[in-house]
Amino acid sequence: MLQYLVILLAEDSVSFCHYENRNTGNLLSINALKESLRISMLENLSVQYVFPEGELPAEYLAAIEVVENVKIMPSNSPYAEKANVLVFNGFFNLKSAKSGIPYVVRCGKDEFFTNYEKLIPLLEVTPHLSVVFKDLVKFNENDFAQYKTVLETFSKHVEELYVDGKSPQFNLLTDRMYLDKMRNCEAGVKTITLAPDGNFYICPAFYYNGEMPCGNPNDGLDIKNPQLYKLEYAPICRRCDAFHCRRCVWLNKLTTLEVNTPSHEQCVVSHIERNAAKSLLAAIRKHGEFMPQLPEIAEIDYLDPFDKIEK
Amino acid sequence: MNIKERAEAWRSGVSKNITFIVTKDCQLACKYCYLVGKNINERMSFDTAKKAIDYILSREDEFKEESVVWDFIGGEPFLEIDLIDKVCDYIKMETYRLNHHWFNSYRFSFSTNGINYHEKKVQDFIKKNHDHLSIGITIDGTELKHDLNRVYKNSGKGSYKEVVKNIPLWIKQFPFAGTKVTISSADIPYIKESVLHLYSLGIKEVNINVVFEDVWKDGDDKLFENQLIELADAIIDGGYYKDYACSFYSEHIGKPMDIKLENQNWCGAGKMLSVDAAGNFYPCTRFAQYSLRSKKAVIIGNIHDGIDKNKLRPFLTLDRLTQSPQKCLDCEVASGCAWCQGENYDAAETPTIYQRATAICLMHKARVRANNYYWNKLFRKLELEGEREEYEKSKHDGPLKIC
Repeated sequence: MLQYLVILLAEDSVSFCHYENRNTGNLLSINALKESLRISMLENLSVQYVFPEGELPAEYLAAIEVVENVKIMPSNSPYAEKANVLVFNGFFNLKSAKSGIPYVVRCGKDEFFTNYEKLIPLLEVTPHLSVVFKDLVKFNENDFAQYKTVLETFSKHVEELYVDGKSPQFNLLTDRMYLDKMRNCEAGVKTITLAPDGNFYICPAFYYNGEMPCGNPNDGLDIKNPQLYKLEYAPICRRCDAFHCRRCVWLNKLTTLEVNTPSHEQCVVSHIERNAAKSLLAAIRKHGEFMPQLPEIAEIDYLDPFDKIEK
Repeated sequence: MNIKERAEAWRSGVSKNITFIVTKDCQLACKYCYLVGKNINERMSFDTAKKAIDYILSREDEFKEESVVWDFIGGEPFLEIDLIDKVCDYIKMETYRLNHHWFNSYRFSFSTNGINYHEKKVQDFIKKNHDHLSIGITIDGTELKHDLNRVYKNSGKGSYKEVVKNIPLWIKQFPFAGTKVTISSADIPYIKESVLHLYSLGIKEVNINVVFEDVWKDGDDKLFENQLIELADAIIDGGYYKDYACSFYSEHIGKPMDIKLENQNWCGAGKMLSVDAAGNFYPCTRFAQYSLRSKKAVIIGNIHDGIDKNKLRPFLTLDRLTQSPQKCLDCEVASGCAWCQGENYDAAETPTIYQRATAICLMHKARVRANNYYWNKLFRKLELEGEREEYEKSKHDGPLKIC
């Protein structure tokens, strides 16, 4: 059931995920904005605004407050003080950001391997740190090995913080510890996006990469083959226990041509994180009781569940 | 050891099917042909075929199947007999040189319209490779039925006469060869007489199926059922069931299917590999652009960069449950109801292989009813004549899978 409406306020609304935005400043029309907000009220949808870097007209700033909302903003937004989520493009300005709200750091894998230590202090500043790789599909065997090592390093810091009584939240390590079933992006199932052209899309990436829209505020939503966005219709994912995986339907389509089928790279990266979470959970529990209701994460002998499916 | 001597091995093992689209040209323009993009320009070069073979043979760890079927299709493959001969020689030499596990565990396979079957170059090729050959000539039945669809592209004239004159030579060379018959809406009234006609030509195995495309008219299912019942009467009353086979009738079809235990995909797309003149790889020929009406080709790699394994993942994890609508999962006569992954893709609302096309639903149900009639009548006759036990020992069930 649909729960969230993401509204891209402009063509250059900050990217908070794997896709790239466009740098033109075209705004979503005020009429489309107002109509979509009316629909959000009718359908009980929680609204998430995605802000561009620049300023918005006063008319927009007034209109968006008609409904309760979450504001996703670039770290250099003139409205950053009002943000509910801050997005950093790379490792710049990390220290000067507003504290106490979730951070998203978008970066390339090589950039991450070089700069990851800069993220460690953030674990005490933000209630939730998310790292999103712009080039996840380019991970290779060497990157997998390096990624595993980097997460082990992170894990030691996170373990120390937990021992100190803190509860840092970091998508690459701790998200999986707290889950006993899939919690993915769910674009097309729980979330839909209104793009600056006034149409609905499965997610921002579908808009920026030229996919067909799936309706508009006037005619309603019309998702073709909607079942394929659901977990039950994903033969690899429905067997998987990397519960924290984004299960990005856009990356799926980009790499395998099917929204319900993940690439080898997405699976292996998620399983390296899963296994790091398993080790971290075990390490924290050596210091005393910790979330006893959470089951142990099982030992497995694969990094890509595709390998376990009989073909 | 030739392929006949290795029959048991072929049955017990899994073979890899590798298809070369050697030309997109054909003498005919059959009215039901799914190849919408045929042309005279796209002919495979030896260099392209060689690169594809080199790529495949150098990856023995990725192509582990016990045996291989090297399939040559078109258009009409025998238009490129010089290329095919050279390619087959190269395959034989390379598998020998590499001590490849497919050396002597291979078959060269052709589906031809039969028009130039008698020509010297084709006959020389057959003599050279006879023990490793599988050749099917497509003949649709009586002259009337055949010429309804299988017409020359330039004149529109039927091709029956040129094909049928080559049938005796073909049967002499391949006594157990079968033919493939395709049924579209206009062909339904001719099914019975066509199958019997093919039997009369000496063709003992008739593999026949309805097209997967959405071509059916109201009432076609009833006409189809009647034709199959009349054919069943003719086969049983005429005693043809003893020595001839028609794939319409199978003891295995028309049963409900278990969602968990019978969840496998029908189609082998993705487990096969197809290569075209441009050197592009496809999961099956049906995903090449010349086969598709409304969708983009699904290219999974090429002879230079290799296969993108990510693009194979959807094909190799596809199952019946995930792609079928609820009515198919609940169907009481589901078994034997086929689908073509390429047609599913072509007909889908979005570019996906995960939406099963169901245009043949009523035709399958009609087939099941006629099939029930066939087996009830045949078994009763055998029991009354005291021949049931003997039949069970010697029977050959028609092929269940047709693609």
